[in-house]
Amino acid sequence: MAPGVLTWTGAVLVAAVAILALAAPLLTSWGPEDIDPTAIRQGPSSEHLLGTDLNGMDVWSRLLHAARIDLGLAIISVAVAVAVGAAIGALTGYVGGWLDALVMRILEITQSFPTFILALAVAVVLGPGAVNLGIVVATVAVPSYARLVRTEVRTVRELGYVDAARTSGISNLAVLWRHVLPNSLTAVRVVAPLNVGWAMLALAGLSFLGFGVPVPQPEWGVMISEGTSDIVAGRWWTTVPPGLALVICVLGFSLLGEGLQERETRRRSR
Amino acid sequence: MRIVRYLGLRLALLVPTLLGVVVLSFVLVRVLPGDPLAAFVTPSTTSEDIEKIRQRLGLDVSMWEQFTTYVGGLFRGDLGTSIQSGSPITTELSTRFGPTMELVVISVVISLLLALVLGVWSALRANRPEDHVIRVGSLVGTALPEFWLGLILIAVFYKTLHWFPAPSGRVDRGVDLTSITGAEGFDALLAGNLTALSSALAHLVLPVATIVIGISASLMRHVRASAIEILASPTWRTAQAHGVRRGALLRGYLLRGTAARLPTLVAIVLGNVLGGVVLVEYVFSWQGMGQWLLRGLLYRDYPVIQAGVLISAVVFAVAYLVADLVQALLDPRVKL
Repeated sequence: MAPGVLTWTGAVLVAAVAILALAAPLLTSWGPEDIDPTAIRQGPSSEHLLGTDLNGMDVWSRLLHAARIDLGLAIISVAVAVAVGAAIGALTGYVGGWLDALVMRILEITQSFPTFILALAVAVVLGPGAVNLGIVVATVAVPSYARLVRTEVRTVRELGYVDAARTSGISNLAVLWRHVLPNSLTAVRVVAPLNVGWAMLALAGLSFLGFGVPVPQPEWGVMISEGTSDIVAGRWWTTVPPGLALVICVLGFSLLGEGLQERETRRRSR
Repeated sequence: MRIVRYLGLRLALLVPTLLGVVVLSFVLVRVLPGDPLAAFVTPSTTSEDIEKIRQRLGLDVSMWEQFTTYVGGLFRGDLGTSIQSGSPITTELSTRFGPTMELVVISVVISLLLALVLGVWSALRANRPEDHVIRVGSLVGTALPEFWLGLILIAVFYKTLHWFPAPSGRVDRGVDLTSITGAEGFDALLAGNLTALSSALAHLVLPVATIVIGISASLMRHVRASAIEILASPTWRTAQAHGVRRGALLRGYLLRGTAARLPTLVAIVLGNVLGGVVLVEYVFSWQGMGQWLLRGLLYRDYPVIQAGVLISAVVFAVAYLVADLVQALLDPRVKL
């Protein structure tokens, strides 16, 4: 498979979901939290395209609006994690010394917990809510980015052009920002899209357990959790669509990551 | 002798990390909002009653004193007492650890074998249709949320097809089995009780399948990558040019070479498994450590949360250590 095909398929999947999320109000006349008391747990119909859930809320509308939280929150929290992680990694890697040693030990300790369990504990500390959930996911992702960037910074800072920049008399911070950092983000560029997929699964998993987005809000994990009794009773429409939506998004990001990685290895082997 | 010295060094290095883990889990638990005593408060409880309970639980002293008592207890193998149930953590753990490890170990072993076979096969058929199918399949596998997959498996294989028992309990009710380790399948095997064994295995199939699908998919991608690397290496070409028989070539070079990298990969995915098992236990009402930790988090049961988080970190750390040792045994190039 050519890397272009992978990247494009991934990009198309993610873009399709993003467009549906943005256009949500145009695609349904029901609000995501509107209750239709005449239709509770009803199958798909012309009125409710994907039926209704146990509260009488429209599943199609919730599915579309949930994409805003799931996709948006995952992208934002990974972006924040990359920014914070890169800052920590660049600083400690460039400066070195006791600061580097101390920060690395702390990061190692946080990384010695299985990620999801740490996320669970942090989620309970911060309490429920979409914003807090984003903070949780960003927090647990920071150490891996910090370490990735730090490793690269430590190689890059020894290169000739960095020495040249330093001897030309510009400040250390400028050297770091303009010359070292931009050249230390190769690994992060490949890992970040893959990580958005992971972030989506973590967000939905925490919400599914009741430690994330609170119940009436539209979110795929919450929808699956609310549909648990439905699916056992054969009412597939409350649980299958949000799960498939998650799969499509995560798959999209994996394909993107895979494509980028393949391009990177080809470029290097040339 | 070398291996003993290496092991000693690694264990010594583990101490500061574990100390950090102990401190972090202690602090994390104390900053949790909510009061662990909330569950004891009824309309008739007076503030003196609450004070008494607080005293009994050792929550009336300063943070520092609580910490020293906790760490002192750890050295004596005492993890404290559950606030909710009032029984020692170690007793509760003994019934919780087995069921979770049963799920984790069986799933990881199956995933490993599956990943090794499919990954190597896919690499040998690189860029042919079979390879594409396997690669896309593995990408989909890693994209499946395990809590959702579990529900779908229950709906299809229990509710519709009736192939497997209901997702509650780990053996059928009425099966006579004394618990030794808490891992029912293993207990039945030890007791030579075939009815219990088949019942326990039937209960294991769906949760194990849920974990295996995700884990083997991500392992397989790594196996394929390292197999392809070996196939492109000068060593492989040389061996081929020397006319080494295909069987020996595959076993001695390809399988051995890829297997040597597996321990590290297993240690990495184990983090995912230990996290994912919380969700899987929840979906299948599997009364293991995950469910126990969730209850602890819900009721602010400090000792339970501390112990749960601490043990997951210890299992994780030990797995890394074992992985490095096994890797050294499999790969003669690795020097300890």
